[in-house]
Amino acid sequence: MDARKSTSPALRAGLAAMVLVLAAAPLVMPVYWTIILTEIFIMGLFAMSFNLLLGYTGLLSFGQAGFFGVGAYAAALLILNNCSSLGLILAAGILGGGVAAAVIGYFCVKRDEIYFAMITLGFGMMLYTIAHNWIEVTGGSDGLPVSAVPAFGFAGLEIQLAEPRNMYLFVLAVSLGEVYLLWRLVRSPFGLLLSAVRENKERLAFVGANVAVVRLVSFTIAGALAGLAGGLFCLFNCMATPDFMHWSYSARPVLMTILGGSGIFLGPACGAAIFFVLEQLITNVTENWMIVLGAILIPVVVYFPRGILGTVWARLHREREGGRS
Amino acid sequence: METFIANLLNGLSWGMLLFLISVGLTTVFGVLGVLNFAHGSFFMLGAYLCMQIMHVVPSFWIGILVGPMLVALLGVIVERLLLRRVYGRDITFQLLLTFAILLVLDDAVRLVWGPGYHVVEAPALLAGTVPLFFHSYPVYRLFLVAAGPVIGGALWSFFHFTRWGRVVRAAAADREMAAGVGIRVPALFTAVFALGTWLAAIGGALAAPHQSLAPSMGERIIIESFIVVVVGGMGSFPGAFAGALLLGLLESFGTVFAGRAQMALPFILLALVLLVRPRGFFGREG
Amino acid sequence: MKRFFAILTVILMLAGLLPAAPATAAEPVKIGFVYIMSGPFATYGQFAKKGAELAIDEINKAGGILGRPVEACFEDSTGKPDVAMRAIRKLVYQEKVDCLIGLDSSGVAKSVVPSIAQLKTPLIITHAATPDVTGTVCNRYTFRISLNLAQNVKTAALLAARTDARTWTTVGPDYAFGHQSWEYFQKYLAEIEPGAKFLPKDQIAFPPFKTTDFSAYITKIMQTKPDGVLISLWGGNLIDFVRQGAEMGFFNGDYEVLVTLGAATEVLSALGDKMPEGLWVGSRYWFLANDSALNRDFVKNYHGRFGEYPSYNAHGAYGALLTYKAAVEKAKTVDKDAVVTALEGLTVELPVGTITIRPEDHQAVTDACWGKTAADPAYPIRILKPMQIFRGVDITPPASDTGCTMK
Repeated sequence: MDARKSTSPALRAGLAAMVLVLAAAPLVMPVYWTIILTEIFIMGLFAMSFNLLLGYTGLLSFGQAGFFGVGAYAAALLILNNCSSLGLILAAGILGGGVAAAVIGYFCVKRDEIYFAMITLGFGMMLYTIAHNWIEVTGGSDGLPVSAVPAFGFAGLEIQLAEPRNMYLFVLAVSLGEVYLLWRLVRSPFGLLLSAVRENKERLAFVGANVAVVRLVSFTIAGALAGLAGGLFCLFNCMATPDFMHWSYSARPVLMTILGGSGIFLGPACGAAIFFVLEQLITNVTENWMIVLGAILIPVVVYFPRGILGTVWARLHREREGGRS
Repeated sequence: METFIANLLNGLSWGMLLFLISVGLTTVFGVLGVLNFAHGSFFMLGAYLCMQIMHVVPSFWIGILVGPMLVALLGVIVERLLLRRVYGRDITFQLLLTFAILLVLDDAVRLVWGPGYHVVEAPALLAGTVPLFFHSYPVYRLFLVAAGPVIGGALWSFFHFTRWGRVVRAAAADREMAAGVGIRVPALFTAVFALGTWLAAIGGALAAPHQSLAPSMGERIIIESFIVVVVGGMGSFPGAFAGALLLGLLESFGTVFAGRAQMALPFILLALVLLVRPRGFFGREG
Repeated sequence: MKRFFAILTVILMLAGLLPAAPATAAEPVKIGFVYIMSGPFATYGQFAKKGAELAIDEINKAGGILGRPVEACFEDSTGKPDVAMRAIRKLVYQEKVDCLIGLDSSGVAKSVVPSIAQLKTPLIITHAATPDVTGTVCNRYTFRISLNLAQNVKTAALLAARTDARTWTTVGPDYAFGHQSWEYFQKYLAEIEPGAKFLPKDQIAFPPFKTTDFSAYITKIMQTKPDGVLISLWGGNLIDFVRQGAEMGFFNGDYEVLVTLGAATEVLSALGDKMPEGLWVGSRYWFLANDSALNRDFVKNYHGRFGEYPSYNAHGAYGALLTYKAAVEKAKTVDKDAVVTALEGLTVELPVGTITIRPEDHQAVTDACWGKTAADPAYPIRILKPMQIFRGVDITPPASDTGCTMK
């Protein structure tokens, strides 16, 4: 992939500048857009967890919302049981999503393409039904509303996450940390193995690698990261509900990833940004956002096979190469 | 025993409706290799157009004759303008493109016919009931039970005994070779997609006297049709039939034993079948 | 890459700044509405929007609230809790509304209500019926003027006690609403009539929400031969159940049938003459129930403008605006905390009748109307004849029962 060979000093400086801009953004941005940006980070994280499967391992999961939801419920249950450590709450999200993905992945990773998508859809919706019907634990169809999110202790200060700017910074920090880890992961030997599974699993099997195990590890990591995103989403919205696990929520990261471009590391996050900004712009103008969104998506899918960021990236790259020659 | 027979009939009529909806989906997948998310929206359009035509000419039969043909025409346009461009691309793009078409069609239906509920009356010929144990049973349901095998059988004969049908099957099996022997594959694909949307719309028109019309009716049915198609074996005709019957009966008898797991029954079926038979009942391995 | 993000940031900022244009001299009172405006249940949001528009035009024509015009911002909850939360935050932070009105889905309402306390903006719920938002998760800023589940089911129980039916069963949607309706019905009916019997769990029916074929559930209920059936299905589910049930002889008069939301106009107008006669049906508002000048005008103006009879959701949004206006006039300011204080204990006349908002749990004590479905040549839909009006004080469970610990 393009991304693998492009950590030039210029890019590093650019990334550092971007992080600074993002951290300073809430100072000038209207509160509501701070909130939207927070949601973009969380959804971007969710989409990137999904793209570890689609873009790097070549698996289309249609049940990713199940793990996202497990993460949200794990977080909500800890909060409701008076856990005041945000680290523990997010760890529960990661653990919940990871364990659920490891168990379900065990049954799924031998399937391919549409059959993989369908079996993950099936398991995802089973998780949904459990959340919807196990009233004693999950609160049933109403879910678990959370009335107060614990404060964040930092340098002896109690930082209230109910304040949108604090929530923004908290989510930004967690997201950046996770993006960094993911970046390291996909560039590690294991990341190369994933790409090899995607490119040609028969050949890989031939040289002795266990494709199913590689896929299962990838699926588990993706589930854990989706669980983390779900935990953040629970803190952000002060709730965990069965809706988070429904297949229509599994469709969200698919949409965002294709919008941004699955071949680029940050493509899914960029897709999340495009999606939310589009949604805001459309719903400001009309209630019939579905027809407008559909009308925009159709040409994107048809004419941007690499997604929007992917296409822009390829264009820039070509320009740069053209300039050099 | 009475309950058993009643549930058998309930399951059969629901299963036949599921079959009529899914058969077009599986045909399109078998030949074009596209899993059409918008299939449910064509199903919905079939129902709405049937209703609209009945406002002009108060006959269900004219509605079911004309409505689905209009939907098939729309299918031709969609295939020519859009779908054609994503053949051979990753399945994700096909799902997303047809999902976008679903968004457009669902909202368009809401804009034209409003967000509220509508009902369509069964034709006078089929409107009555027949006595059955402790309750009466609608003739229209029995008609559905009969219509499924008839339409399915007609399609099966078409694909196996007519020249056109064989051409379609040849193209489905090997696109390049079919083109090599002089079959106009693009035109054929258009025709097959039109057939698929026509079948969806027929399903919609047949469902109209049985369930209320609302802009969500396509979205509600699409996942269950996916399950029928995958469980039966994607692209398989008898598979869709078996899958639909199985799901219909399971949901019907589920009311006796499933309790609160009822909601998950289709998904449990989906996962179990894929675990045991990775390509569904009648799916081609490979 | 950098350029791209720079452009994105600019777009973000512009998009954020544009709607926040500086306020004009005659500063309007801003009301934010959160309803389902798109998707499967858009019909409910569209009804609410009509009711709200009618009320706003009438209020503005009569000089506004405290001399200031009323301005509406509609946001789409899509029926999903996270989207509703985003809509509410947009209305509070971006549009800076003075009051929130809305919420259709019970699940959405229960999920967002705890956060309303942190946003410190009054919310008047007009549709969502879950007892919990004025019960276990109640708070200072959340109010409800519409009939809640407990009140409506209490009415059903009062009616049930008058019938000869002894053994009761239920058909309800398989989510909290259906289950709570049955649970409350059993509790209330057993209190009124200790001899009442209720069928056990495995004999009652809770079809999942996406069901379109109810035949198996109809068979199941008919086979148990109950005396009475409580039906808490609504909308499209109810329409499908009624049509399929009628065909299978469910409504042939073998049982007493109580339909908690059968008098909803979207159901009656879709079914037309296919709605069986003689079923007991309820709703949160029935346009012919209250013979007051206010209600007659509301029905006349609404029908004149939109060509249909007002549904309960139209009434909910209309009534919420009248309620807010009364509270502001009592507080003499739009200050949010002052309005909240004014709303507590407020008595106001709405088309449905005079309501009083209980200070203990913020639930309105409001009258309920049930009736038997009947044909009437003057109306294109089934109407309720005879009607039974139940006084709010008789059907509202005591505040101590709600689980609300606000006071």
